[in-house]
This record gives sequence, C-alpha cells and structure tokens, in this order.
Amino acid sequence: MVFVKSLEDFEIAAENMYMANPMACRYTMKYIHSKGQILLKMTDNVKCVQFKAENMPDLKKIEKFTSNLMGHMASKE
Amino acid sequence: MNGFQFILRLEKLASAAKSDSSFTVTLKRFNGHDRPVPREGKPPLPKPEEYMCLMRVHSKSKKISTVVRREDVPKMVTMYAQFMRSNLDGLKRVKKVKSKAKAAKG
Repeated sequence: MVFVKSLEDFEIAAENMYMANPMACRYTMKYIHSKGQILLKMTDNVKCVQFKAENMPDLKKIEKFTSNLMGHMASKE
Repeated sequence: MNGFQFILRLEKLASAAKSDSSFTVTLKRFNGHDRPVPREGKPPLPKPEEYMCLMRVHSKSKKISTVVRREDVPKMVTMYAQFMRSNLDGLKRVKKVKSKAKAAKG
C-alpha cells in the first residue's frame, strides 16, 4: 500500500493533500490494540498516504497533528 | 450528539474494542449540506457560512458521530487528546539506548 516511512513525511504529505482540496479529504485513524498499532490514513479519493505507528513517542505527535487538522477543518474559510 | 457525550461514548467503545477488535476514527470537513447536490436547473445549495468538522467513530458493532464547530474545537481537542493518552496505551515504549558506548569510553 501507500505507506510512508516516517511520521514527518506523512504529516507533510497529508497537509499538502488537505490544502489542495479540503472538502474532499478525510483523515482516518485506526487503533488495533491486539497488534499495538495505530494506522493513519489521509485520502482525497484520488491519492492516499498511510502511516503505521507502533511507538509511544509517535502518539504525542499524532495528537498534535490531529488537533491541528481539526482546527483547519472547522475554520471559517 | 454533543462533544462531551461523544467522548464518553467513545471511551466505552474503545474499551470494548480493546479485547476483540479495532476501532476507527474518521475526521472530515463538513459544510452543513445535508441534501445531495441538486441537478442543473434547480436552485443550488446555499453557500456555507462556516465549516465544521465531522468526527465519526466506528467499531465492529457500534457507530457514533459528532459535529465539531469552530467554537468547540479547543475543548474537543483537549478531551480527545486526553482520551488518546489514556486509551491508546498498547504501543511499544521506546527504551533510551543506554550509552554502552559511554560506558565503553569512560
């Protein structure tokens, strides 16, 4: 699949995708406790970027990214 | 449902999903349109004044969702961050590489 190696790469790609077409983009986060993984996915129905997080330190960065994205989505313009 | 109720239901869903399945959270921008785009010749949908964030969570058996407005974003962000920190705890803790090199040096 379209997995990226690092969280930073994922964040940049996802942000670019969202800026290009905010209404078409959706961000998905899937948590699988049995495997200890968080799967992040950002798609605009044309392209898709994914990231698999397995470490605790990534969680904080994911939190930040999610709140950033939420702020963008619920903005005025 | 409102934000606070959503987070409560989310926590219940997450702990239920821990044992057997996974759960998925989806975020999408929402422009308030609740009708499909009309055909040509019909009046178009009103232009959105403000955008909101649609937040959906689904697990094997349950689905919940909420709409977050601009004013509620900070509150929702805090509650969601708290939820993430307390529930998503199955990840690996990264051990700091003990400086064997340091010990070897000195």
